[in-house]
Amino acid sequence: MTATKACDSASTAPESSANDNIQPFYLLHKASTPRNSGRKSAAARTIDLSPSKPSSSTTTTNPQFDPHKAFQSVWSRIDSAIKDVLRDVNTNVFNEIHSWVRQSFLAVTSSGVPTFAEATKSFPILNHATSKQLFTGLVLIKNMEFVDDLLTFEELGLFLKSHACHVANLSSLDLSTKNGVGGCLRSLLRQFLTVTLDAVDISILASWYREYGNPNSPVIIIVEDMERCSRSVLSDFILMLSEWVVKIPMILIMGVTTLDAPKTVLPSHVLQQLCPSKFTLGSPAERMDAVVEAALVRWCSGFSIGHKVAVFLRNYFLNHDGTLASFIRALKIACAQHFSIEPLSSVLGLLAEEDSEDERVLALSSGMAAQIDSNLASCLTELKRSQKCWGIVVMCLYKAGKYSKVQLLDLLCEALDPDIYKSIASDTRTRSGKGFEISSSSNHSMAQQYLRKDGPISQAIEKVRDLPASPLSQLLKSWENLTVDILEINVKVKELQPMIKLEEGKSLKQDFTDLAKRHTSRTAANIKESKTINEKAATLLANLVRDFMRPIECIPFHEIACFKDVEKLQSALTGDPRRRIQVDLLEFHEFLRCKCCSRSCNIPLQSMPDTSIMYTLAQEHGDLINLHDWFQSFKTIVMNPSSKCRRKGKQSSFPKKRKETNEHENKSESSLQARLCRAVTELQITGLIRMPSKRRPDFVQRVAFGL
Amino acid sequence: MGKEESPQIERRSTRHSSATISKNEAGTKSNEPLPPTVNDLFYGEEEKPISLDDVVSSFPGRRIQIIELMRVLGPVNCPMVPLFIYGDSSTGKTSITLQIFRHLNRPFVYSSCLTCYSPRILFESILNQLLLHRKSMANSYLSAKRCERPSDFVNFLREALISITSNLQGNSGKSGSKKLDRRASGNMIYLIFDNLERVREWDKSSIMLPFLLNLYDILKMPEVGLIFISNTSPDTYYSSMGYAEPTPVYFPDYKEDDLRQIFVKNQENKKLYSSFLDVVLKPFYRITRRVDELSTAFSQLYKKYCEPLSDLGVVPNEEMKRRLFSNLQPHIAPSMNEIFKVSSQPSTDIGATKEAKQKSSSKKSGLEVTDQLDLHMSTSAKYLLISAFLASRNPATLDASLFDSTGGSDSRKRKRKPSEKTSEQKEAAEQELLMKGPGTFPLERLLAIFQCITSVAEGSLEEEEQGSDGLRVQVGDNSLMSDVLLQLSSLCNANFIVKGVSCPLEGSTRYRSTICEDMALKVARSLKFPLSKYLYRR
Repeated sequence: MTATKACDSASTAPESSANDNIQPFYLLHKASTPRNSGRKSAAARTIDLSPSKPSSSTTTTNPQFDPHKAFQSVWSRIDSAIKDVLRDVNTNVFNEIHSWVRQSFLAVTSSGVPTFAEATKSFPILNHATSKQLFTGLVLIKNMEFVDDLLTFEELGLFLKSHACHVANLSSLDLSTKNGVGGCLRSLLRQFLTVTLDAVDISILASWYREYGNPNSPVIIIVEDMERCSRSVLSDFILMLSEWVVKIPMILIMGVTTLDAPKTVLPSHVLQQLCPSKFTLGSPAERMDAVVEAALVRWCSGFSIGHKVAVFLRNYFLNHDGTLASFIRALKIACAQHFSIEPLSSVLGLLAEEDSEDERVLALSSGMAAQIDSNLASCLTELKRSQKCWGIVVMCLYKAGKYSKVQLLDLLCEALDPDIYKSIASDTRTRSGKGFEISSSSNHSMAQQYLRKDGPISQAIEKVRDLPASPLSQLLKSWENLTVDILEINVKVKELQPMIKLEEGKSLKQDFTDLAKRHTSRTAANIKESKTINEKAATLLANLVRDFMRPIECIPFHEIACFKDVEKLQSALTGDPRRRIQVDLLEFHEFLRCKCCSRSCNIPLQSMPDTSIMYTLAQEHGDLINLHDWFQSFKTIVMNPSSKCRRKGKQSSFPKKRKETNEHENKSESSLQARLCRAVTELQITGLIRMPSKRRPDFVQRVAFGL
Repeated sequence: MGKEESPQIERRSTRHSSATISKNEAGTKSNEPLPPTVNDLFYGEEEKPISLDDVVSSFPGRRIQIIELMRVLGPVNCPMVPLFIYGDSSTGKTSITLQIFRHLNRPFVYSSCLTCYSPRILFESILNQLLLHRKSMANSYLSAKRCERPSDFVNFLREALISITSNLQGNSGKSGSKKLDRRASGNMIYLIFDNLERVREWDKSSIMLPFLLNLYDILKMPEVGLIFISNTSPDTYYSSMGYAEPTPVYFPDYKEDDLRQIFVKNQENKKLYSSFLDVVLKPFYRITRRVDELSTAFSQLYKKYCEPLSDLGVVPNEEMKRRLFSNLQPHIAPSMNEIFKVSSQPSTDIGATKEAKQKSSSKKSGLEVTDQLDLHMSTSAKYLLISAFLASRNPATLDASLFDSTGGSDSRKRKRKPSEKTSEQKEAAEQELLMKGPGTFPLERLLAIFQCITSVAEGSLEEEEQGSDGLRVQVGDNSLMSDVLLQLSSLCNANFIVKGVSCPLEGSTRYRSTICEDMALKVARSLKFPLSKYLYRR
């Protein structure tokens, strides 16, 4: 209950603060109007690096530069890339599940298919004792949160449907205590028969299957989130299914968080009916890597994020909300904000559309030259090229780092860090002045000295150093594939290939001669040789890092493509509703914009809203607020003419106005009490104070302190 | 729970399959929905009724019960008092009843209260069968009669029964020459209610159960026989007397010899299987006597047992038996454990147990391997889980001394002395705690502990990572606190924390953590959080 409240307040929080630029979409809608001063300042800030200043007016006049459209085109590219990648992550598991489904279908039907009459009769077909076992696939979702896998199960259903199975998806809502077994049967029949019935029983499903179902396809029932289902309903449902499994070849697939879940949720006589197999979906970390690769490392959309934003996103994923859904949402918000605050960013939309070939980009940039400086155009191409190199190097690092379980997201954070690159680059420059000579050892120390000791990049390079021969050759092959577009890197990688082949041949020979004592019998020379190859590969990687991995923030004009404003993103993501409420209560004037209270800064005035007065007054109190005192000070403020209010210190203790006539006082007293009650209730609802306890009936407790 | 599975009988199954074959010969006819006839009320219209000897021999150890049932059912057209069959799950109640009806070839209406999950479904299912109505697309899957109340049901039932019995009488008179076996059927019709114990849960048994048990008196039709099948004894039903008590027939658990017969019966290589049973049946018999549980366990083990054999038709000699036994022995105990607990993953977890073994062996070598929590959780969720675990494990009075740095060790020392004196009391308290399980806690306490441990842990984390990890951007001090309630709700959803009903005294919701200590330790290890320091050991 409390959680939903938090949800609500979180969702309402941005609304209340729309003027704080928290709502990107709101801004986007407004973006077609001429730029306001705030945006101009942003533009001025961004362009100071560039030698020429493109005026913001030119960008707005062209309809092609509509930031809304640009956002849509860029985001749709990112989105589709992410979706493709997520689908690919699951294909293996899906195939596995499908083959298991086929096997279990054969096992179910092996004892003979019952005839129509048998299948639709109410009494069970007497058969072997194990025939009541229900084949159950437990699909392990490796995440505590379930959100990411809603889509997965939907896709699993579609996948199985396309492979000639009858599929129905049930969620925990169908299997709730409120709906009972009838509810989930109804949902099943609705999905299979496409009819909605009042009184449902499973015999209907049996007769449907025999009449209209494909006799060669199993009936698959997917329960998406088993742990959230009502225990009694789920166990009744399973018992019922197991009674009919001989008549209808049903197979159950359940999504579970831990393998213990069935044991804790279901009673033993129900578990007895299940014949489970385990499947594992890709872990969130794997999927995250795939998404990061698709969305950020491959320069597919033109949009990228700065180092700080990357670190923020990573921390947000690791510490707060371990769901891909929220990561993608954060990315989307970042993207939207970028397009709304960055006037030149709309160029990206064009870049994204005409991304496919370099020549076309050149053509585009020449076309754009009319509007934008040719300098900018060339810079854009440069940006694009270096980003491509950067992405390739990051991927090479990732491929190497995979062997020591480096996460791409960590790698990305380090790779985006401009400081590291700057220090490396400056070092190289001083060295190259002396004369360019790369001995592997010195280079090693040089590259590493600026990378963090156990940072993912140096980890990856370190791993290459002690990789055995066959994975090394695989790694080199994957590098070759990755670098196919950039000739200068590709050549270097290819230089290493023949060496590794030679090495492989040798080690193969070694294998034949003495399989058991391979490691010990290696000659010293051999070891040395293999070491040199590893060393060379590592050096190559280090050189790549040094020469090609230019973080986007080190490239001029990167502001066009790169979103760097962490604070904005953070405030959009973590609403911090309680703080927001307090701020709004204290600074209500920003919303009301009335003339009467404009001059007061912290002094409560008569014309202020009651709740604000009350809250301002409450600030003076400690842990507990005496209701009587509170009321008295409230009364003084409301009753007094504004002149009194300035002497704030005295108000709380001495109610001064006692000169009014009695009747007036009585009348106003009751209305004042009503106003007080209302204000206190509002404060209580917003969670700022707590009602009096039984022990201290005349005190309320403050819950929120400070901002 | 109706586990009325019978041991499979080799002979019967062959007949069964031959019957299906003969039906398939008849072509697609049998797969098309025929309009239901009176014959649908018989067990199988195309099969010859089996002899009583067949029934008896196909259910080892059930001779007495079968004869008793036959006696109660009586000869043709003999009215009977309601029959109450009870016995543990998987003792053959339903199977034997159905086989007897197959033998007697009398019409019956079967309804399982498991499948018919509500009174309405039960009523309509019975009426549909009696009125020879089958739900199909043609009648848009509706029942013959809409019937929700017991009084309606009685009226409908009476009508339906009268029509069907007259139909039966005519049938037996007319078609006698055509179908010889129908002669024996008579004009009795039997209503079988299986899984009667489920009815007790429907509406707290206030209406339905007395109604069903009293149905015989209400109907007052001698042509109707009522048979109740339940896995609990009749004592659990007779809350209010006032109706004729049905005749109870008890199905006891199988004896070891019966089980042996049952299991050997449907095996191809009986010699081999009985040698297998020599090994496994005795230990398993001590744990469970249910045929279904045993057969799932045995089917796995038997595969293991036969693994070394190339020819499954071999007749084992002594030496081979010994070899096979030594091969099987390590698997028996784990399998027994599993059947005793839940036997959730018999098929896949052969691999998983191996993994577990590897894990346990690697545990000795280094802790790093077992660190891995096979579950993704955000850091704040992990901390929340740990604080919930602590709140459940530790008594609330200790919170101050554990988490408040000022009042720490001092107060604990003071506590220890009196507790030493009253060690017996302490033991009793410990016992009580074990019985109670993890304690409950209000949300405020959880949040307080969460705040404490995160502030401690963040401090240490920052110290640790300050030099090496520049990835940490200052996201605000209480960054972990941002959406704790959201995290809490998702922890609740994943069943790690259970939200209890609100306490009637305080009016606030109380929570309880359900994770085991192992899991909590794993989580703590993944955070490098010194959990054991905070755990209160009695």
